[in-house]
Amino acid sequence: MSSARLSAGLLPLALVVSAVAVWALTVGASEISAMQALGSLWSGDDRAATVIRAVRLPRVIAALGVGAALAVAGAIMQAVTRNPMAEPGILGVNAGASFAVVLALAFGGVTAAHALAWFAFAGAGAASVLVYALGSAGRSGATPVKLVLSGVVVASFLASVTLAILLIDAQTFDAVRLWTAGSLRGRQLHDVLAVLPYAIGAIAVALAIRTQFTSMSLGAEVARGLGQNQAVWRAISVLIVALLAGSAVAMAGPVAFVGLVVPHMVRLCIGPDYGWLLPYSALAGALLTLVADTLPRAAWGTDVPVGISLALVGAPVFIWLARSRTGAVPA
Amino acid sequence: MRLVWIALALALTGATIASLAAGDQQVPLGTVLGALTGDESVPATARIIVVDLRLPRAVLGALVGAALAVAGTATQAIMRNPLAEPGILGINAGAALAAMLVIVGLPGLTEAWLPWMSFAGALLMSAAIYALAWRSGTTSLRIILIGIGLGALAGAAASWISVFGPVAEVQRAMLWLAGSLQDSRWIKAQWLLIWGLPAALAIWLMARELDLVAFGDTVARGLGQPVQRVRGLAIFCAATLAGAAVAAAGPIAFVGLAAPHIARRLVGRSHAALVPASAIVGAILLLLADLAARRAMPPAQLPAGVAVALIGAPFFGYLLWRKRNDAV
Repeated sequence: MSSARLSAGLLPLALVVSAVAVWALTVGASEISAMQALGSLWSGDDRAATVIRAVRLPRVIAALGVGAALAVAGAIMQAVTRNPMAEPGILGVNAGASFAVVLALAFGGVTAAHALAWFAFAGAGAASVLVYALGSAGRSGATPVKLVLSGVVVASFLASVTLAILLIDAQTFDAVRLWTAGSLRGRQLHDVLAVLPYAIGAIAVALAIRTQFTSMSLGAEVARGLGQNQAVWRAISVLIVALLAGSAVAMAGPVAFVGLVVPHMVRLCIGPDYGWLLPYSALAGALLTLVADTLPRAAWGTDVPVGISLALVGAPVFIWLARSRTGAVPA
Repeated sequence: MRLVWIALALALTGATIASLAAGDQQVPLGTVLGALTGDESVPATARIIVVDLRLPRAVLGALVGAALAVAGTATQAIMRNPLAEPGILGINAGAALAAMLVIVGLPGLTEAWLPWMSFAGALLMSAAIYALAWRSGTTSLRIILIGIGLGALAGAAASWISVFGPVAEVQRAMLWLAGSLQDSRWIKAQWLLIWGLPAALAIWLMARELDLVAFGDTVARGLGQPVQRVRGLAIFCAATLAGAAVAAAGPIAFVGLAAPHIARRLVGRSHAALVPASAIVGAILLLLADLAARRAMPPAQLPAGVAVALIGAPFFGYLLWRKRNDAV
């Protein structure tokens, strides 16, 4: 697609995201119209305003933030590792976060949601540091293969320790099984706002340096030819991904689908140029997550963990895209 | 090179004998060998423990580990992707969904159905992925993408059941989903051999073709390889192998992904050596993992699948660290 058409497409997509966000504010047990909802965002202290500001707004903000952060993080991971199977979880963020949360629940007796969020954030950060340290050791630095394999090592080790604890401790398992499916239910505004700045900051930095990811995705030789310092940019990318995925996992638990699939969906639609891929991924990730979180409640009145509804809503579209948009096989 | 093979053979023998000797009832080494060779002077209890209780488990463990490792080797070659494992063919997602349905979802089915349902689920899933990825031929990328999509769909259905199902049954399902050798019987080993051995041999016989695949479809086709047929056959064999292994012991993660990488660091990239080497590495990995899972906190038994990564990941990490200066 030409860049004129691509730049013309961003604004309508952003408007769609805003419209869906307003619609999401009107979905729930009590009837609140869109105008009423918008009006009570800033003022008013009636029941409707309380519902909007305490219950629905945090959830909408969290869905938008989680979706955008994970989609951008996934796109960056796929560029750095040059691997279509890469996602933020490869850096160990989800395994590290789950490990820290389960430890806090099982041995620390921590149950408050906002405390668990910080455990998740810290666990995600520690795991990604470990992955990068192992993957970047040696003369060749953090090559895609080494980074990916050290991610496998750290993530599967932490995941199996977590699983062992859960199999022994039924009480912790019951407390954590909703969290591990990924859920946006019952977020408090100040908890979301505590983590959100990290995600927004990291997205802003990623968008500012987005063309670097195009060179990175073309491989070491091309990137070197274009004058890119591989070691530095790989380290920066890993830091951005850790911040993005860490804040997402703190807000919603481990959600695997967005980071892996949304970048592919966007790439299948608009092509591999990261200059466009990153902004479109951010918007598409936010949109898909918000729709997946809201649709089950609007349509059937049931609250489905967003990690599950994302796959149910997104996977059919993705399969269709992958079938129809990947190049034909040469005879 | 010969040293590596001798070391692998010794390690496999050692792991087998250790898993026959160790347990709640320790059996001395001489008695184990005597029981295996049918020595008359061995007491009956020791013979029952070693031959009837522990031998099926050790044999099944080694077979499952080898099957997963060979399937993983073929998958990584065909997908040209170091992250690939039999799971990308939908094996685990299909088997997990089938198991969730049997244990939690459908009250009419007894758990005797579990192996057959999970085998069927795994194979159906791979067939669906292959069929959806076919558009006048397949490409590795399309199989990977469709595999991710369908896998996510089946995974979401399984975790739907796990979130809303009764917690006791869900935890029982989790136990099966972690992969365990606890219910090892000779009949399972027989079924695994019947389904798995032809598939594993076929993959080994395709070693040269798998070497060629690494150069990409265009080069392989230029060198006279029927690219689509090789890919289809390798996927079919890998799916059968991994599906049969999952039916015997549940979806044991990590072996299919890590054993080929460990073997590659030991014997190199040529598949003629890589396929048997990763089979041995996979067998050792699972035998040791099961041993550790049984002995970690007796009398409670952890599922072997949990211990695989506990043992395998540090070793794999050590290999990565030792070879950190190699050009990869």
